Amino acid sequence: MSASPKENAVQTLLRQSASLAMTMFLLLWSVITAQGYAFNEIVPDVREPASVSGGSACPVPSHQLTTAAAIAFRWSTALGTNPKTILTQDQTAAGSLNEIEQVIQQSLAVWSGVSGTSLIPATFAPLARNSAANLCGSDGINSICFDQPDMAFTPGVLAFTRVITADQIGIQLGSGAPSTQIGQILDADIYFNPSDSLASFATPAALGANPKSYDLESLLTHELGHSLGFSHSAVWGAMMFPFAPAPGTFTGIRPTAQQPDAPLGDDDRTGLRVLFHDPADTLFIGSIQGRILPANLLSLPASPPGVTGIFGAHVVAVDTASGAVIAGTLGGWSCQAPGPAQFDGTYEIGALAVNHTYKIYAEPLNGAVGPSEVSNALVSLCRNSTTDPGWPPLEACVVPQPDIEFTTATRSSP
Amino acid sequence: MSYKDRRRFLWVLFLIGLALIAVVAQATTLVRLRFQDLVHYSYSIARVRCVHAESVMENGEIWTDTSFRVVSHNKGYLPEEIVVRQPGGKFQHLHSHVDGTPEFRPGEEVYLFLSAHAVGQFKIVGWAQGTFRIHRDLRSGGETVTQDSAETPVFDPASSSFTKTGVKNLSVDAFEQRVHHEMSRETE
Repeated sequence: MSASPKENAVQTLLRQSASLAMTMFLLLWSVITAQGYAFNEIVPDVREPASVSGGSACPVPSHQLTTAAAIAFRWSTALGTNPKTILTQDQTAAGSLNEIEQVIQQSLAVWSGVSGTSLIPATFAPLARNSAANLCGSDGINSICFDQPDMAFTPGVLAFTRVITADQIGIQLGSGAPSTQIGQILDADIYFNPSDSLASFATPAALGANPKSYDLESLLTHELGHSLGFSHSAVWGAMMFPFAPAPGTFTGIRPTAQQPDAPLGDDDRTGLRVLFHDPADTLFIGSIQGRILPANLLSLPASPPGVTGIFGAHVVAVDTASGAVIAGTLGGWSCQAPGPAQFDGTYEIGALAVNHTYKIYAEPLNGAVGPSEVSNALVSLCRNSTTDPGWPPLEACVVPQPDIEFTTATRSSP
Repeated sequence: MSYKDRRRFLWVLFLIGLALIAVVAQATTLVRLRFQDLVHYSYSIARVRCVHAESVMENGEIWTDTSFRVVSHNKGYLPEEIVVRQPGGKFQHLHSHVDGTPEFRPGEEVYLFLSAHAVGQFKIVGWAQGTFRIHRDLRSGGETVTQDSAETPVFDPASSSFTKTGVKNLSVDAFEQRVHHEMSRETE
């Protein structure tokens, strides 16, 4: 299928599943406001005036602002020594910090190096050092901490990112500026486990000599993806795939000056272009939309009411010429203002390069990536009077369980 | 899609899989825990039923406290009702997201591997790894257990190989036997 702006076609039929129903996979010409990729979604608080809530209960992807120097990160130079979890090649105090800082800057450059997005190097403010321990916290400042204990750590947890988003305009967190957009990320802190004696993180320069350590650059680049608004991706090889490289190895290809975004997969790049759309871009402006429907409607869940399509399917676009997986998204819903989300099987894969031909595949989330790894992209699509007292009934909905049991088959295009 | 196209696509997937299986190992936020590790690190292992969840702000951070009624416990002592604390949640107009934390629905039954956090308050060991969902077959009435991280391929440094060692569709009886087996090994 050729992707041109808002141009779609009927292509594939998928055979449905557990109930042996046939799943019909329709690609529709439509202007439905479709779901995002695997982004963290937030439903605006429509109990508040439209002037601050936007007046619509349609989910909005979490995102950062992209004006010059809008995204500022600082990092804590307080590093643990017992156990020593951050390993560098340069063993001097100053050299070690420089090496870590270089990794952080390199990881930021990976994301700002993608063409066709409004996230450019100038979007990031100069990286700041801070010698204070326990720098991470909900203070409106993005921070990276390598030696901060947190209640959330348990055995086996290597690192995580805590992203705080506002559901209306004008919300202020700590010393940060009040939010000017709904879904704006107010604070994103990255925590590395400082106290797990089984886990250490090595810079690229030190990884070879420490093959039992995790690649700091790969993990940090992934966590920075969360700080930009990404949830996880179910595409293998994507930076946002929820599984880290094995100790002693790294994700993708190391970045270079010629290709700073080399570690990313095409799926990451496509997602970034959707999340941080560049209005001046003329190449990545294609989109493919459609719905995933069961031929036998009785196979749809009876509860919650109103589910008319397969929810939670992983929909993948493959470039026909190269065979490469260009993008994948989580399908199953659409929303038109004033909302709420409708669980009608809709999907949209946007920011595709035009003048390419793509094949679309759908699969259930029952492989290496399950619904729990992308729960923030699925469970936050609805609000109602149970989750939020006083929520207006007409803008309320309940997120159904992702369908992880359907099976598919394809047939030739008509 | 023609038969030739399908074959080509499957080959592409197969080759991608071969290439990637060499690098994929653990969750970004999670390091692999073997079943015996989970048992070892757990203060308690219990079958619980989700009652409700609420978000709280404490020490400047948002947490989700999920209340569970204890159905039975396999390890450690637990009161009738417990609270499991996880990072993230919604507080006033702030939404805190932490990817990789398991979500629970009221009425859902799960086995949880728990570490103690405060009096009556617990954390899930390894997040998804310490979460085992119970599925009841409506026709047979039989119950099976599947770990949230069941499909995670893990790297075993000893054998330099990748395997999927997660629990998937294991009968409740077999699951409990496995827990007891690991507990008895621990005490030997």
